[in-house]
Amino acid sequence: MDLIIQIVVIVVHIAVVLGVVLTHVAYLTYAERKILSDMQDRLGPMEVGPHGLLQPLADGLKLFFKEDIIPAGANKIIFSAAPILVLVPALIGFAVVPFGRDSFFIGSIEFTPYITDINIGLLYVLAFSSIGAYGILLGGWASNSKYALLGGLRSAAQVISYELPLGLALVGPVLLSGSLSMKTMTEAQGGGFWHWYVITQPVAFVIYMICAIAETNRLPFDMPEAESELVAGFFTEYSGMRFSFFFLAEYANMILVSCVAVVAFLGGWQAPLAALDFIPPIFWFLAKVYFLLFFYIWLRATVPRLRFDQLMAFGWKIMLPLALVNVLLTSIVKYFLN
Amino acid sequence: MAMGRSLFKTVFFSEILQGLRLTMKHLIKGKSITELYPHQKPDLPDGWRGAIVHLRYDDGTEKCVGCALCEAACPSHCITVISAERPDLPQKRIAETYILDMTKCVFCGFCVQACPVTALASSKEYELATTDKRKLVMTKDTMLTLGDKYFPIREKRPEYSDEKINLYEKLKAKNYPYAKKGEA
Repeated sequence: MDLIIQIVVIVVHIAVVLGVVLTHVAYLTYAERKILSDMQDRLGPMEVGPHGLLQPLADGLKLFFKEDIIPAGANKIIFSAAPILVLVPALIGFAVVPFGRDSFFIGSIEFTPYITDINIGLLYVLAFSSIGAYGILLGGWASNSKYALLGGLRSAAQVISYELPLGLALVGPVLLSGSLSMKTMTEAQGGGFWHWYVITQPVAFVIYMICAIAETNRLPFDMPEAESELVAGFFTEYSGMRFSFFFLAEYANMILVSCVAVVAFLGGWQAPLAALDFIPPIFWFLAKVYFLLFFYIWLRATVPRLRFDQLMAFGWKIMLPLALVNVLLTSIVKYFLN
Repeated sequence: MAMGRSLFKTVFFSEILQGLRLTMKHLIKGKSITELYPHQKPDLPDGWRGAIVHLRYDDGTEKCVGCALCEAACPSHCITVISAERPDLPQKRIAETYILDMTKCVFCGFCVQACPVTALASSKEYELATTDKRKLVMTKDTMLTLGDKYFPIREKRPEYSDEKINLYEKLKAKNYPYAKKGEA
C-alpha cells in the first residue's frame, strides 16, 4: 500500500511539474511574439481571443492536425526519433529544479516543491542538455536535406564550443556551495541578495548567460536554424507534431537554462532581503525566471545574428579561457578563505 | 587611453547595452505603426486615387456629356464611351454606354483631369477584391451609385437661358439636326 501511495505521489509530482512547464512553454511563445512586436512597434497576434491570448492554443491545434510528412530520402527511424531525443532531455531536466522552500502535506503524505533532490543535480541537467544536441544533429542528418545537414553540423560545432564554458561557469557556484545538489545550492545562498553567487561570481554569471543562449540556439546565436541562411536549419524538413516537438524543446530549454541560472546564481527561491521573507518563495523563483526569460527575448529584439566564425572564435578564444581563469581564481580564493 | 576605453566598452558590453536601452524605449513608449486592417480602416488622405466614379448634378441628372475625352486620355484604354444625343434636348449629348474596365485601370486619374464638365472623380473606394472578375467591369450605373456614396455634395446644375431652351424646342419640333446616315 505504501508503495502505491509513493508511486501516486511521484506521478502527481511529475504531472504537476510537466503541466506547469508545458503551459509556460505555450505562453512563452505568446510572450515572445508580443514583446518582440511591441519592441518593433508592431501589434503581434491580436485575432484569437482578447489580445490574441488564445493564440498558443490555436497554434497547438493547427500543428496537431497537420499532415505528418517524412521526406522520401530520409532515414525514417532516426528522423522520427530525433524530435523525441530533443524534447525528452529538455523536459527531464526539470526533475531536479527546486521551485520553492516548503513541502506541503495532505494527511501524512508529503508533497515536495521539487520532483527529486539528487546529489548530482547540476551534473544531471548538464548531461541531459548535451543529449539534446544529439537530437538536433541526428534530425539534421536524417532529413537528407542540405539545409538541415548544415544546420545540424553548425549545431554540433556550436554545442561543443559552448558546452565547455557553460560547465566551467557553473563550477564557480559549485565550488562556493560545495554541492552539486540544486536544493543545497539554493539554501547556501540564503540571507539577502549579497549572498547570491551573482555577486561573488559575476564573470561566471555572464559567461553562463551567453553560453546558455548559445546552448538553446537562441538569437544572437541561432546559427543552427538561421532563417535567412538555412531556411529553418535542422528542422527544415519537419512538419506537424514532429516540428512542434522541436519547438516545444527550444522553449522548454529556455525555461530550463533560466531555472538553472536562477538556482546557481540568483539564489533560487530566496528573497533578496530577509525582510521580504513573508512573500512565498515560489513567487521569488518565478519572478527571477520570468526576468531572465524576458531578458532573452529582449536580447533577441536587440542583437543581430553573429557570423559563424565569429561565434566559434568567441567561444574558444574568449569564453573558454575566461571560464578557466574564473575557476582557478575561485578555487584559490576559496582555499585560502577556508 | 583610447585603447583602455575601448577595452572597457568591450568588457561591459556597452554597445549591446545601448541597443537594449533602445529596444526597451520602444517597448515602453513605442506606439504601434501597424493597424488591425480589416477591423480598423486606415484614414485615407484627400486626393486618394481610388475607383473612378461618375458624378451627378443637384437635380439628380448625370454630369457626363459623352464627349469621350476620358477615353482619349486613358493610357491603358480601359474606358469605352458610346455617346448619343439626348432625346429631350437635341444638340445636348450624353453617354449612352459608358464602360470602365477596372481590371485594366491603372488609377492614374488622367480621365478625371481630362473631363471638361468634371463628371468624373477619383473616389476613396480601394477594397476592389472580388470573387467575380466581371464585377470589375463597371458600367455607368455602378459608377453613379459609387459616386453617390463618396460625393454626397452635388454641384448645382447650370441654368439654360430661355433663349437656348427655345432654340432646342424649335430644333426638336423640326426634328433637326438629328444626323441620319446618308444625309448631309
